[in-house]
Amino acid sequence: MSYGEAVLLGITALAAIFSTIATYMAIMERDLLKAVIFSAIQSTIYAFIYYMLMAPDIDLVYIPVAVGLYPAVIIALIKKTTREEKP
Amino acid sequence: MRYWVGLCVLILTILAISFVVAANINVLVPSTNVRTLAEIYLKYTYYPWDKYFTAMSPEACTSIVWDFRGLDTVFETMVFYLAIIGAIALARGVPLKLPKEIKGDLGLSLIVKTVTKIVPVLIIAVAGSIALHGHLTPGGGFQGGATAAVAPVLILVVFSQFYLLRRGVNKNSMLLLRSIGLTGIGITAFAAVLIGLATGHYAFVLQNQPKPLAPDISLPAFVGGQLISGSLWFFNFFEFLAVAAGFTIVFLLITLPEKLAEAREEKRVAEGGEK
Repeated sequence: MSYGEAVLLGITALAAIFSTIATYMAIMERDLLKAVIFSAIQSTIYAFIYYMLMAPDIDLVYIPVAVGLYPAVIIALIKKTTREEKP
Repeated sequence: MRYWVGLCVLILTILAISFVVAANINVLVPSTNVRTLAEIYLKYTYYPWDKYFTAMSPEACTSIVWDFRGLDTVFETMVFYLAIIGAIALARGVPLKLPKEIKGDLGLSLIVKTVTKIVPVLIIAVAGSIALHGHLTPGGGFQGGATAAVAPVLILVVFSQFYLLRRGVNKNSMLLLRSIGLTGIGITAFAAVLIGLATGHYAFVLQNQPKPLAPDISLPAFVGGQLISGSLWFFNFFEFLAVAAGFTIVFLLITLPEKLAEAREEKRVAEGGEK
């Protein structure tokens, strides 16, 4: 493995850890709108990871669905119900 | 406090698993050599020297999705449209029409609207290029359709639903577009068989290039010197129409103002309609 490959894989691994943190924050957040934003951050990092793992076909469908359409569905749902998660 | 403890435990678990995998890299990580099946796919995805096995498309993913494993994709497409039909069935009886009582400007501020006037055009252009180049570069029908569906969602949020309804983007027109797409996928799947029936040759459903048992029938790989990879271009184009229209229907139904629908339902019942 060359030096450049190792650096790129390291960046991907760091991104993966950040995505897990974003997922944890999305689960623990009581304000559902913020939770959607954390989830969208996780999706953005996943899109980056797909690109680094040389899967551009998956990436092209993942970006619109997971960063655009899915948060839009959930935000529409939150607007029709309540914003706070009850304990 | 509990929040941070949970986060630390999570990160430590990830690092521990990574360490175990990295320490046993020879056992746990599969070899990076290309396996036989992948070799065959990569070799025959664009291989004009053996016309019986190639898909005539330089894009390996599209040739696997719509040629080598075409039947899988047909069933996947069916699942997606069943989901769309489910969403439409949930909102049955809900009229998606332009109300007379709403007039004037709706939506967000002028700054947001001005920016949004430019962006959907770019989104549609990118989506079209993803879908129509799907047999040459990464992308394809579903990718292009999902990208195109972001444009109506953006307009829905920024300009309000009635902006789309006024311009004819409603449930029925999108259902028509979606049905055109699905019919196109069906016709493309049976194209080789129909040509075979007309010319009296043996052919397969979902056939693209000639096959050993059906050597006389094939869809054209080149049209006017341009590579269209036989059926792949048509599959991508029709899937693009169907996916974009399907997602648009779902978003039109999801963002329907409930108060308006309820008021209209009450009015209908008061006028003697069935509940």
